[in-house]
Amino acid sequence: MPHVFDREQFLDRHLGLSSDDRAEMLRVIERDSIDDLLSATIPEQIRLRASLALGSAVPEAEVLSMLRDKFNNDVVRRNYIGQGYYGTITPPVIKRNVLENPAWYTAYTPYQPEISQGRLEAILNFQTMIAELTGLALANASLLDEATAVAEAVTMARRVSKNPSNIVLVEKDIHPQTLNVLRTRTEPVGIEIILGGLDDFTDVDAFALVVSWPASSGALASPQSVAASVAHHRSRGVITIASTDLLACAQIIPPGQLGFDVAVGSAQRFGVPMGFGGPHAAFMAVATEHARSLPGRLVGVSTDTAGRPALRLSLQTREQHIRREKATSNICTAQVLLANIAGFYGAWHGPTGLQAIARRVHALASAFASLAASKNLSLVSTDFFDTVALQTPDAQGLVSQARQHGCNIRQIDERTVSASFDETMTAQDVVTLLLAIGVNATLQDVNNSARADQNASLVRTDQFMSQSVFGRYHTEHEMLRYVRRLSDKDLALDRTMIPLGSCTMKLNSTTEMEPITWSLLADLHPYVPADESVGYRSLITDLETMLCAITGYDAVSLQPNAGSQGEFAGLLAIRAYHRSRGDINRTICLIPSSAHGTNAASAVMAGMGVVVIACDESGNVDVQDLREKADAAGERLAALMVTYPSTHGVFETAISEICEIIHQRGGQVYVDGANLNALVAVAQPGKFGADVSHLNLHKTFCIPHGGGGPGVGPVAVRSHLAPFLPGHPLAHHDDSTVGAVSAAPFGSAGILAIPWVYISMMGPDGLLAATGDAILSANYVARRLVFLKLPSVRSVRLFINAVVRCM
Amino acid sequence: MYVDGANLNALVAVAQPGKFGADVSHLNLHKTFCIPHGGGGPGVGPVAVRSHLAPFLPGHPLAHHDDSTVGAVSAAPFGSAGILAIPWVYISMMGPDGLLAATGDAILSANYVARRLRDVYPTLYSGPSGTVAHECILDIRGITKDTGVSVDDIAKRLMDFCFHAPTMSFPVTGTLMVEPTESESLAEVNRFIEAMLQIGVEIDSVRQGKVDIEDSPLRHAPHTVEDVVSSNWARPYSRETALFPTPLLRTRSFYPAVSRIDAVFGDRNLVCNCAPIEEYAMSLESITLS
Repeated sequence: MPHVFDREQFLDRHLGLSSDDRAEMLRVIERDSIDDLLSATIPEQIRLRASLALGSAVPEAEVLSMLRDKFNNDVVRRNYIGQGYYGTITPPVIKRNVLENPAWYTAYTPYQPEISQGRLEAILNFQTMIAELTGLALANASLLDEATAVAEAVTMARRVSKNPSNIVLVEKDIHPQTLNVLRTRTEPVGIEIILGGLDDFTDVDAFALVVSWPASSGALASPQSVAASVAHHRSRGVITIASTDLLACAQIIPPGQLGFDVAVGSAQRFGVPMGFGGPHAAFMAVATEHARSLPGRLVGVSTDTAGRPALRLSLQTREQHIRREKATSNICTAQVLLANIAGFYGAWHGPTGLQAIARRVHALASAFASLAASKNLSLVSTDFFDTVALQTPDAQGLVSQARQHGCNIRQIDERTVSASFDETMTAQDVVTLLLAIGVNATLQDVNNSARADQNASLVRTDQFMSQSVFGRYHTEHEMLRYVRRLSDKDLALDRTMIPLGSCTMKLNSTTEMEPITWSLLADLHPYVPADESVGYRSLITDLETMLCAITGYDAVSLQPNAGSQGEFAGLLAIRAYHRSRGDINRTICLIPSSAHGTNAASAVMAGMGVVVIACDESGNVDVQDLREKADAAGERLAALMVTYPSTHGVFETAISEICEIIHQRGGQVYVDGANLNALVAVAQPGKFGADVSHLNLHKTFCIPHGGGGPGVGPVAVRSHLAPFLPGHPLAHHDDSTVGAVSAAPFGSAGILAIPWVYISMMGPDGLLAATGDAILSANYVARRLVFLKLPSVRSVRLFINAVVRCM
Repeated sequence: MYVDGANLNALVAVAQPGKFGADVSHLNLHKTFCIPHGGGGPGVGPVAVRSHLAPFLPGHPLAHHDDSTVGAVSAAPFGSAGILAIPWVYISMMGPDGLLAATGDAILSANYVARRLRDVYPTLYSGPSGTVAHECILDIRGITKDTGVSVDDIAKRLMDFCFHAPTMSFPVTGTLMVEPTESESLAEVNRFIEAMLQIGVEIDSVRQGKVDIEDSPLRHAPHTVEDVVSSNWARPYSRETALFPTPLLRTRSFYPAVSRIDAVFGDRNLVCNCAPIEEYAMSLESITLS
């Protein structure tokens, strides 16, 4: 019995059905109760009969103060770490009307372009801005982070390069997280990395060259020598890739003008908060001849039936849902919401505004450089944009000294540190940092030492972003109305239900969303010392524990930035497990014909060969075919990837038997958790036979779809696979034998509060009730529609199956 | 001498009521100082006085120091204190030069509108040099006398152009008062002017006898989508004229929910509560998407 002092429960706001509604729907589907429905739907052998081991539901009115309390003990320092992540100012009109606006964040990927013209236009703006800033012909929208963007560029290069070599040359002054992810991605597919200086590469045969422009240390090499090197390699069939910084591109010669084929990078510093590592939109821009090889989403212009210009996603035939194991990438979820924020940021400032910000940032860095340089601290490079590297006898000592004075700088190696500047900083921040590293300087000194312009040889002289969208929306009224005008063209959850099967377009509640724009969560750099991220790490540990309790697995990694990355990480864990036991030939991955195309693309990325298993007409795995193909694979069997409940929306009764067939033959079972919404609190993949799953926190656990991202795709494993979860060079504890799959140790940490708040507010009983209602609604829809005239007896039978066992 | 400060937006940084002779004014922080109108509130209306009136500003029994001889006018000592950050942030971000620039642009925009429209809609009042302050009064009385087109007709027709109407019949009956403010772009101000000039063309058609006022898009404005797509459309002007009076409006996303409302009917049949649930009952089949 509820007590008079009990607070209102969130569950009643989350669930759409009243008890009267539920009774009526049960009557229609001829079931006595939700429990009766669950018993009829979920095979008894996998049914969870105990309550989930989670804390009881926290009232909506209390949950955010609980979350905030976690962050109370965080030390706060000024951050000059840089290394791919920078402070930025989200223009308030964009923060409130895009980032915090359900019209933008609850939209789905624009596969239905007629009702998505608003965000398609916003994405087109992003693509245009990236192409203009990088000096290349066209850009995609978008990739998951800078490190995976470099990896995508290298694998694209392998597809398009005419040079048959398996070597990629990587200029060594590259962000360490990028190199780590690149190693993780290239090793399984037999690509070899050679690290060195541009001068070392002249005679090496390779299919790709990766150069950071500006370099990770901030240094800017001579543009003439870089261009000469690029031209030399291109003439040998090498695809040349620049990893670049968008703000620098507003001031210095961009990659396209140096002759690079491809430019990649992160748009984070264009108004997207750091969020302890993500989510941010990465980009890839290419020269015209590579347009059709570009991975990921690409918005293009077409016409409607009346000849009106209309936007839609272009070249969909490249993608994994069609090309499966031959796809150009396994990327599905992109980072649309963040790409849109970056695009609006570009429209808000325009080319002149961006140049002014770039000048300001460079002026701060130049003042710091000229005042810091001394006999103990020498400049690594006299040419730089925003990052100044200094040689010092004791880098670690200098980093600790700065830290004691409230400043974080980056340690590059034993004798090198660097400091990065961004648009949030003032001259006073330069003074503060100088004092922290033992240099006495005044504001006046900083003002006098600032130099806003680059050397003539480096300076960008052409006009860019001259399209009207980058000139029209510089006043707040104009931007406010533009954002509104665009969102008015789109259907999102703020106007209608979105009954997309397998996408789980459930409520993204306001309380779940609120914390993501708190400064506490939004403004933290991913590589800060541990005492600054106590709150985040407590949140992450909680969430890992919650997800283990829900799935029945033993360990979870939150690093993957999307379901596709979770799949890849899961398959890497299987691969590493087999190898750790000497089973280096276990490389065959069985995948049912009904699987999501991403499965096959991920298996190929993990160095596996795909063998397709037949399905019956209801989409169930053909167990006989499975047994035969597993036998045929023999000692080479690595894994089975299966979605559960199936992509046809049915709980297969044979799931336990299927798992057993694979295990008996030495394989591992990968259960795609895309459909976990039907399982929460009623069955646990970690207990019914699976070894590893990825989950989609942007489906089951309320992270909104953002119009096509962000997502979070954690990978969950049983204990024998736990040592093979993704590691990270910058994590505080890294004992994994597998490399990183994301640039940040905890991936898109900035949105992990959403599932934490959801699970906390629902509690174990609420999660069970949600699963019950989700299954009830699907069965009700199926039953109401089965009486419509259907085209064939087979369809009727399918529908009847669906009625009985619909997820 | 009491100077009503409702129009302070034209004075900020160019003239000071406290210096040019007034003893007391109230200001509207929800006009000049950026508190949003909130669909009809909140507002903040501080009263400002010269020193001889200072002892007589409102007191409050729960203020920490109350030496006023006049009682409280609000329940809380500082009224709507919760929104005072808005003008504080605005004034802080603008600074003295910014406030002067804003006043300049507000007056410039109002004069630009008056000048661009004066051949069709004469400006009722202007100063000795022919300029207006931060707003202009367009005199519609001649048009109404010649054609029957009222301020209402023009105001409602503006809705078909996706504009909010200007102030109607205040302070003078039969006029429209336009205040563009300093925050509108020239593109937006021009869009308004072009809408008014297009309406002027429609008024001309009535004046020349090509269209009867009762059959005109002016009198039928605003137009709902439901009216315009009706199979019973029998008006002498096209559906395009109704919904898309200029080509740019073909991509509009806003349409009025109802057409011209009968105010007299509502007053005669006073209903000021939501209808009881029974009146909402409808069959499942009749439910359509919003």
